[in-house]
Amino acid sequence: MTTQLSPEQAESNYLARIGSLVGEIIHYGGFDLKSTVRKSNATGEGPDAAEIVVNFEGPDSDLLLEKNAALLDALEYVVLKAVRVDDELNGRFSFDCDGWRQVRAEELKLTALMAAKQAIETGSPFHLTPMNSRERRIVHLALKEETAVRTMSEGSGPSRKVVIYPTTSPS
Amino acid sequence: MEIKNLIEAIAKALVDNPDQVTVRPVEGEQITVLELRVHPSDLGKVIGKQGRTARSIRTILGAAGMKLKKRFTLEILE
Repeated sequence: MTTQLSPEQAESNYLARIGSLVGEIIHYGGFDLKSTVRKSNATGEGPDAAEIVVNFEGPDSDLLLEKNAALLDALEYVVLKAVRVDDELNGRFSFDCDGWRQVRAEELKLTALMAAKQAIETGSPFHLTPMNSRERRIVHLALKEETAVRTMSEGSGPSRKVVIYPTTSPS
Repeated sequence: MEIKNLIEAIAKALVDNPDQVTVRPVEGEQITVLELRVHPSDLGKVIGKQGRTARSIRTILGAAGMKLKKRFTLEILE
């Protein structure tokens, strides 16, 4: 596959393959869901927010969003792996349901701010729960401007998490 | 068996040698084990970095099982 595709061709190629695998998984998995592809003009969070969103709706939305959207994340991971989206395009695709990504991002920002406050007050590092790279990134960005703390990702694999260190001693 | 097809469809999409993908369901009383075999060079494709792909497949399998009120486990065999 060395043929040079235009970005538009590459994109519609990916979309067709994503759509077909998602369709198979919904069908064989017996999930009561409908998927639609939505293109946003990157009006979301930050300059590299997802531009192509595969959105799910239907009676099994709850199942998709259980345990911090474990099923939604699993679907996204497997499907994007299978379609082998180029690294540079990878961040442009996202799977969503009922506005979950936005809600979760806001929740993470609040968590980050509260954890930072606690770290500053106690003078000890605050360990957040393990998160995937997208969620850790939201936390790092939320505290980028906060000079009283610095954030690090620690641990590996599924247990990798953000640790918030106070940079000053408690007053 | 739809669940067998589910795992087959996902595995075939992930690997370089889809014709080498087989899924064999082994039905027990409480639980059905799905034995997934792929070409040896494709093992990494279905397992993934730190097992993340395999974990994601198991999450999808678990959810499909919940809908059927049945338990399934996935074994990836060499």
